[in-house]
Amino acid sequence: MSANPPLSIASLTAPVAVGYVPLGMVFGLLFVQAGGAAWLAVASSLLIYAGAAQFMMVPMLAAGMPMGSIVLATLVINLRHVFYGLALLENMPAARWRRWYVIYALTDETWSVLTALPQQQRAEHMTALSALNQLWWVGGTLAGALIGARAELGLNGLDFALAALFAVLAAEQWRSRRDWVPVWVALGSYAAAAWLVSDQALTAAIAACVLAAVLRSDARPAEGRP
Amino acid sequence: MNNQVYVLVAMILMGVVTLGLRALPFVAGPWLRRHRMVGQLGRFLPLAIMVLLALHTAWGHAQARRALPWAEAAAIVLVVLLQWRFRQTLLSIAAGTVVYMLLIGL
Repeated sequence: MSANPPLSIASLTAPVAVGYVPLGMVFGLLFVQAGGAAWLAVASSLLIYAGAAQFMMVPMLAAGMPMGSIVLATLVINLRHVFYGLALLENMPAARWRRWYVIYALTDETWSVLTALPQQQRAEHMTALSALNQLWWVGGTLAGALIGARAELGLNGLDFALAALFAVLAAEQWRSRRDWVPVWVALGSYAAAAWLVSDQALTAAIAACVLAAVLRSDARPAEGRP
Repeated sequence: MNNQVYVLVAMILMGVVTLGLRALPFVAGPWLRRHRMVGQLGRFLPLAIMVLLALHTAWGHAQARRALPWAEAAAIVLVVLLQWRFRQTLLSIAAGTVVYMLLIGL
């Protein structure tokens, strides 16, 4: 990163807001339409705060599935989060409650914008950035739950902003690394995972990337530390 | 869904599982830090996972509208090129999203 960081907190949280508010609304709407209480929709965005798992649980809860199945599905779908903390180990806030809040709120999107912050700014800004991101998600959930089944939402692709955000962050990561190997490994492993285990493509592809990173560090032991 | 206790207990369990997964690297941090491999993972994984998340999210959009992912691919390429050239995060995202909405709306 240069001395002039182009990624301010506002510029990092705004695209998350554009993705989280409509997606949170869709979640709140689906939850209420499935027969859930509005306060429980909001409670799930505070208790769980993991978008994919929250969407997944709506039909499971509506079908009254056993707790064990729901817990197992959550474990599988959120397994990728195990790898996220590794990139942030060195830069966590010092205060205990801040540290635990950031860990609790470490969603895909929040992790991706936190890792885009310059290292020396992370500890200082990560709590605020995480909290703003959760605010968008909880606010969206509340709005969607209140609107309920009464209105049609003209989303039609607005939540593509999240995909665009990930693409931006991938470009920024590439700018600082200029390493094609992670890109090709990611593309190849996702193609294979989508073909072999389409239900768990993301988790399987992340596991493949972790494996590739481990193998690469073994294969190139002479490489120095940054 | 009518049984609020069932829903609430399921949510609490899901929350505990999610928090446990997110906390694992921090709880096991002192052990992880001693290993050079972890540093290598930290350098390799952010770029790889960001590519995966972009791919996965875009692919999800294509699947949701039951179409080949041409609009998604075009919008992602546009976003990457804009970001590479101008480095304006909001501009890249807004342009990519608007172009995507236009493409799928046509």
